[in-house]
Amino acid sequence: MAESALMEAKPGHKSIAIGKDGCPYIEAFRCPDCGAVVTEQTMACRACASRNTPEPFRAKETAGLHTWSIVYRSYPGIEVPFVSAIVDLDDGPALKGTVRVEQEKLREGLPLRLVFDDAGGARDKDGAPYIGFHFVEGDAA
Amino acid sequence: MSEAYILGADMIAFGRYPDKTPGQLAAEAALLALDDCGLSIRDVGVLYCGSSFNAASMLGQQVLKQIGQTGIPCINVSNACASGATAVREAFVAVKSGLYDVALAVGAEKNPRGMLGGPAVDGPSPEGLFGSGSMPAVFAEAGMVHANRYGTTIEQFAQVAVKNHHHATMNPKAAYRKETPLEEVLGSEMIAWPLTKLMCSANVDGAAAAVIVSEKKARELGMSRAVRIRGSALTSDPYEPRNPVMFDANSVTRLAAQQAYEMAGLGPEDLHLVELHDCFATAELLHYETLGLCGEGEAGRLIDSGATALGGRIPVNVSGGLLSKGHPIGATGVANMVEIVMHLRGEAGQRQVEGARIGLSHVLGFGAATGVHILEKA
Repeated sequence: MAESALMEAKPGHKSIAIGKDGCPYIEAFRCPDCGAVVTEQTMACRACASRNTPEPFRAKETAGLHTWSIVYRSYPGIEVPFVSAIVDLDDGPALKGTVRVEQEKLREGLPLRLVFDDAGGARDKDGAPYIGFHFVEGDAA
Repeated sequence: MSEAYILGADMIAFGRYPDKTPGQLAAEAALLALDDCGLSIRDVGVLYCGSSFNAASMLGQQVLKQIGQTGIPCINVSNACASGATAVREAFVAVKSGLYDVALAVGAEKNPRGMLGGPAVDGPSPEGLFGSGSMPAVFAEAGMVHANRYGTTIEQFAQVAVKNHHHATMNPKAAYRKETPLEEVLGSEMIAWPLTKLMCSANVDGAAAAVIVSEKKARELGMSRAVRIRGSALTSDPYEPRNPVMFDANSVTRLAAQQAYEMAGLGPEDLHLVELHDCFATAELLHYETLGLCGEGEAGRLIDSGATALGGRIPVNVSGGLLSKGHPIGATGVANMVEIVMHLRGEAGQRQVEGARIGLSHVLGFGAATGVHILEKA
């Protein structure tokens, strides 16, 4: 227990990066030519095929709800129901994530905020913890 | 360039085949299609075999080991749910090129059991932590975009299942042939809002095949049951800002539809029936619009009007569709064309669309690929 508590938490999602300050953030990439934003490093721009490599940036954690489904049947062992959503971060990238908001409040454009979490307590084979994220209701811009 | 015709087309009944291999299922469909036009595997110049999960096992060669190892080139195609349509498309290209007079396209699948989706990843299992990767959730989210923008209701989505299950009662090769009234569709297990279990496609095994021939060969063998491939399009997903975080069913289909209509010199108003990719009830409504059967935002009204039911202005999925005929992934794209061919020949029995001369088939592969074919009675 003491040992694993000292182990550094690892990103539990490919869009999570760890800053020099040790804090997690969402990393996205912007094409220097056309401005298209994507959530993974690509060799050329997916939108305009420019060979100028998309540049990484630290994405905002304020967001808006694009679409969702309330999932009642998932794979074995997964707790249901939960809200699966596509969320637009305020400066471009979209993420799929779980939204923890009362179902009655769900609507397109609902302001949300990304919150980092412990990825449900998941650990890798050496016992190292993971960092995950989910979305909660945010403040209107 | 030579025209290309479908001369033979058939499928095995969709269902569960625990005691047969994918190669046996594919070979049965191949023989049915060859028999349908009176040809033998000895007449075939090239074989394309489509399967999402089974292509890597040299499925086409397994077919030839069942029905005759003639030494022809055999191309195994995996393109998700568009695998079968991709096989037909490549057979079409082979014949159009002039290299071959007779090409055989087979689509076959023994589906994995259970709910599809949820790829393996490094790190914690993403399901539930980062939304859901299940196919029902993905297509529910796509449907909710339409619902949020246009006010489409769960009842309108559910009517797709009512209609397609009804159509399947007239199709002896459909996996499920049972009426499902609206209350039953809405009352079945909720999988991913707004999709209930009866609004999800039937996960079954199956195989279908088509013999594609040159104009010269069609004239030699007789045009009376021939169906001309007027338009054939295969697309991959063009750039969309949220894709692939959010699967985009629409732009990849719009692009294919536009190309197929252009090749055919036809528009959606010229069609007499459509077999489209109703993997989930939400998808059918989205594709009414992406295929141009109605304007943007009008899909809910189109299903309500009855226009897409048998007897309506533009019947959609009279086979029962993926929802009820079943969705053996790689077979689906070929089976959709088999259905169109039956109607254009006037051989569809109880579910015949009267006077059908032009039909469109559409499939959508997750990842993404779309195949659209426009067929016309020769």
